Amino acid sequence: MKHNFTIFWLFAKNSMRTTTQGRIGIVVFSLGKIARFAFMFFLLFFIFRGTRILKGYTFQEAALFYMIFNLIDTISQVLFREVYRFRSLVVSGSLDTILLKPYHPFLRILLGGVDVLDVVLLIPYSLITIAVAIQGHVALTHFVPFLILFLNALWIATSFHILVLALGILTTEVDHTILIYRDMTSLGRFPMAIYKEPIKSFFTFVIPIGIMTSFPPQALLGVLSPSGFFISLAISALLFYSVMKLWNFSLKRYQSWGG
Amino acid sequence: MRRYFQVFTVTLKEYFAYRLNFVLWRFRMILSTRVTLFLWMGVFDSRSAFGSYSKERLLSYLLFSSLVTTFISSSRISNLAYEIQSGGIMNLLLKPLSIFGYYAATDAADKLMNIFFGIIEFIIIVFSFKIPLVPPQQVGWFLVFLCSGVCISFSINLMLSFIGFWTPDVWAPRFLFMMLVTFVSGAYFPLDLLPSIVYRIFLFTPFPYLYFMPTKILVDGIQNTYFIQQLICSLGWAIGLFFLARFLWKKGIKNFSFWGR
Repeated sequence: MKHNFTIFWLFAKNSMRTTTQGRIGIVVFSLGKIARFAFMFFLLFFIFRGTRILKGYTFQEAALFYMIFNLIDTISQVLFREVYRFRSLVVSGSLDTILLKPYHPFLRILLGGVDVLDVVLLIPYSLITIAVAIQGHVALTHFVPFLILFLNALWIATSFHILVLALGILTTEVDHTILIYRDMTSLGRFPMAIYKEPIKSFFTFVIPIGIMTSFPPQALLGVLSPSGFFISLAISALLFYSVMKLWNFSLKRYQSWGG
Repeated sequence: MRRYFQVFTVTLKEYFAYRLNFVLWRFRMILSTRVTLFLWMGVFDSRSAFGSYSKERLLSYLLFSSLVTTFISSSRISNLAYEIQSGGIMNLLLKPLSIFGYYAATDAADKLMNIFFGIIEFIIIVFSFKIPLVPPQQVGWFLVFLCSGVCISFSINLMLSFIGFWTPDVWAPRFLFMMLVTFVSGAYFPLDLLPSIVYRIFLFTPFPYLYFMPTKILVDGIQNTYFIQQLICSLGWAIGLFFLARFLWKKGIKNFSFWGR
């Protein structure tokens, strides 16, 4: 465990050094991310203009969904940024050199590119989430189930990123698949209850975006049923098991292209 | 002209060579544009109008807007930044083609492919979700604004790529720009739902002429209040930005140097 953490920390430090090379890029990228956050918050405010409740949720509650979505999304961006660069490793054959190393390849291809820009954004996001939760009179007793489902959401995000890696090996296509994942998760910016059937059920149970982004805030607001809580854990476990099977299958099919 | 037609056909053939890539790209486009539609459909479950828009008009706006966005935003010019950075642009400079003409031809192929599939997806969505649509209005004026929007988008895309002449940080400005454009060009909601003063200020910028104005005309026809101002601004931005792009190209290419190819 300590060995793995040392390697993770080494990759994180290297990634931080690389990111901080382009100072103008850092500022402009951060501005872009802040603009996206602010615009989506505005859209939420705009939709709630003139209506007190939308599908059973007040503006404060919908804002809580949006903030928790941002936390889950940003933490997965912080951790899994390296997945975006995976394609070049496959098509150049450089993945061989990683597979030969005496540590798990996920340390390099999944967690090896910690995004320092998003770490900075996590601070204001966390503070705004706490402020929104306090304004929404969230009960402290709901915090434990929320925390479990929040970690469960990160587990689902991990599974999705491993799925992208596996598909990357099988098809050499990564750029679009990771962005499809991003587009699908963007449905979770707002409570899933807003969407109509069959979209709602499809993106909750078939592709568990709803479990990932809507169940944690529901738990925090105390509106998630106990069965919903346990079903979400079961679906996450099933998803993780399936993608690990696919990952092992893809490794068996992997052929070095270059090297 | 025949050379540019060759570029056009080669670009089309590239799409058929990388089929999985194209299918995934269209899937992404469907998802990203439909997320907004699904959201607004949810909003209209509990109300019949939003601001001055009825359910029928707002959903029509979003669907037509997704088509206009598909047509105007599809472009291959972002590759140019990479070509400048990698020195690959020298291969283009040696060809008997103008850079502007070359990218206009690749963009035309890109737009043709995207609008073809965009229309099919549009029909599937309308029929599968039984979305009520208003009949398209004043198609002639719509086409004028659409062409103007294409020109504005083309010039802005070129200028964003020309940044590569002066700095290696080419993706960050493009990212920031795309974030701004998505919101202030009316892709998420009609801009005339904003407070009047904000809407009028936006009309002086090039952004509403990308997606909002062509779609608005298709849904509501010409609104006499600001029509002349909108027409002048749209054409003015299209012409002005084109000359600005040409100026930046001339400046950039004078600056450009590369070793090792």
